[in-house]
Amino acid sequence: MSLVEITDVTKQFGALKVLDRISLHVERGEIIAIIGRSGSGKSTLLRCINGLEPIQSGRIVVDGITVNDPKTDLRRLRQRVGIVFQSYNLFPHLSVARNITLAPTVAKGMPAQDAIKIAHDVLRRVGLEDKINAFPDQLSGGQQQRVAIARSLAMQPTLMLFDEITSALDPELTGEVIKVLEDMASSGMTMLLVTHEMGFARRFGSRVVFMHGGRIHEQGPAADTLAHPKTRELETFLSAVLH
Amino acid sequence: MIRHFAWIDLFYLVAALRWTLALTGVAFVGGTCVGALIALMRFSYLGPLRFLGNLYTQVVQGTPLLVWIFALYFGLAIFGFSVDAWTAAACALSIYAGAFLGEIWRGALLAIPRTQWEAGASLGLGFLHQLRYVIVPQALRVGTPPTVGFLVQLIKDTSLASTIGFVELTREGQTTTAATFQPFSVYLTVAGLYFLICFPLTQWSRRLERTFHVTR
Amino acid sequence: MNGGRLRSLLMAFQRSSALGIERVSYQFEFRDVLAYWPDLLSGVAVTIMLALLGMAGGVLVGILGATAHLYGARPLRIFATAYVEAIRNTPLLVQLFIVFFGLAQIGLRLNAPVAAIITLIVNVGAYATEIVRAGFQAIPRTQLEAGHALGLSGYQVFRHVVLVPALKMMFPALASQFTLLLLATSVVSLISVNDLFYTASIIQSQTFRDFEVYALVGVVYLGLALACRSGFALIYRRAFSRR
Repeated sequence: MSLVEITDVTKQFGALKVLDRISLHVERGEIIAIIGRSGSGKSTLLRCINGLEPIQSGRIVVDGITVNDPKTDLRRLRQRVGIVFQSYNLFPHLSVARNITLAPTVAKGMPAQDAIKIAHDVLRRVGLEDKINAFPDQLSGGQQQRVAIARSLAMQPTLMLFDEITSALDPELTGEVIKVLEDMASSGMTMLLVTHEMGFARRFGSRVVFMHGGRIHEQGPAADTLAHPKTRELETFLSAVLH
Repeated sequence: MIRHFAWIDLFYLVAALRWTLALTGVAFVGGTCVGALIALMRFSYLGPLRFLGNLYTQVVQGTPLLVWIFALYFGLAIFGFSVDAWTAAACALSIYAGAFLGEIWRGALLAIPRTQWEAGASLGLGFLHQLRYVIVPQALRVGTPPTVGFLVQLIKDTSLASTIGFVELTREGQTTTAATFQPFSVYLTVAGLYFLICFPLTQWSRRLERTFHVTR
Repeated sequence: MNGGRLRSLLMAFQRSSALGIERVSYQFEFRDVLAYWPDLLSGVAVTIMLALLGMAGGVLVGILGATAHLYGARPLRIFATAYVEAIRNTPLLVQLFIVFFGLAQIGLRLNAPVAAIITLIVNVGAYATEIVRAGFQAIPRTQLEAGHALGLSGYQVFRHVVLVPALKMMFPALASQFTLLLLATSVVSLISVNDLFYTASIIQSQTFRDFEVYALVGVVYLGLALACRSGFALIYRRAFSRR
């Protein structure tokens, strides 16, 4: 059974059809790069996977849990699916340590010492262990994004979603974030990334999914598809992005 | 003779409402003059001017309006000025409004970003010219919604003029109550009349605020 | 209050004013007024008590009102809006008369202090509703999303992500509301409640020192207002800065 099964999903905002009968399967350990123009529905698809957006028809099953079932306890699902946002969304009134330990202690009931140990671990993984007691406004954009990744990792998810996490960063800060992604990829985490970072997609992606007009226009093995696009739209898109 | 609260009383109340509005008008004009002066003083480069402006604001905002009304009505008489209720109320309200309007307009001036000043200066405009052609026109737009909001507050504050016998709406309400012994109906009507005047202004102030934010 | 030193200071003032102002055939006599200092002190106590009770009750009403506005069913929301608009568009004095005189006419006879407190609570409640509502609405949706995405329940998101930033936002507005309330309590003197302002009119009628009485009382109010402002600023710094 695939880790993520998206079957025939349609989503509308009023009259606007943002996702049009999307079907996608994601296996454990895969790294999927979702690319496409703005408005193609990529971020929406990601947000539907952990239930932040409702769908009008179709089915989404993540690790055996049906997301769009009204009876589903979304909280339990979200403890297994980590998501990192473009604008990091750290809690400004809490320290880095508290940002990271909040969900494990409060939602999972973990004792404080265990949570702090995990906080140290994840911060080490993203290279920010020395910032454990800092506050978000004392960190650069790249550091905040890495803390956001660490915060999601602290919940030990089976799946990580990334919504254009480098788009809001200055170019010189994206490198440190990409490095964290590469580490995670090497350790076998299942990752779905909405991204413009073609370099990362080519080197580490197992699959590339190109979305256009709310549909999956083309997909295939990452390096291959990016080097030899089969459809005109993907070719146009890649030439615009990679100039 | 106790009579019933009748339509004739409503007529008198509405007539008294005129005086409420008149007092509001005078106080607003007076307050505008004072307030504009205070705002500019608090905004100026000169330390002593700023200090005086701030002192005025702190003192007036830190004392109840009733104190000003009573102090001017009873207190001024001591100095040989014959003060009637209208003058005392108008002066007290003007002093009071001046502090609050000054605060609002100083805030409006401060809200204009530094970049606007820099643009004006780069074009060779001096401080006063920048103020007049670049900053104040924009500040007027920013300051209008809270000014209208304060106008509502001023209308409500005129009710305190009743305490020194000035016959505005609230005072007329007291008189009518004395004649009809029906305070509930009378004061509810008085409240209703205030509401009819204030509510549209409140809504207007909100609408102004929304339009302002949209265009920004 | 050191009576002796104050008296000599005032005598100096008296002499100078008697010398300097030839036109005025009036001598300032603060001594007469200051002789009433026990009454003035109890007036201050009553004023502070009214403000405290009014604020405490008002904030409670404000929390209820804001909750009704944000989460209540439509009729509740309409009621909350009507309440807020009715209070904000009518003078406090008239509200006081309705509660004290008006309710007595239809059978509910309240004594003056109780009527005063009820009126103040109802009045502050309307403004507090708006302040509390604004505080909670100021929290960006993205913060709520981040909390939910970590698997926190609705209550947990409220308690850990929303509450402290909302309180921080509300505090300055509530603090200035208290200062305004403290000054506005002078209105209850008109139904003969023994607050500071009523005490002033009593002293005035007994000593005929109009100017001195109101000048002195004005200074006392000013002192209270300034004490409030600095006090609240201190509390804000202590409570909401980095721990």
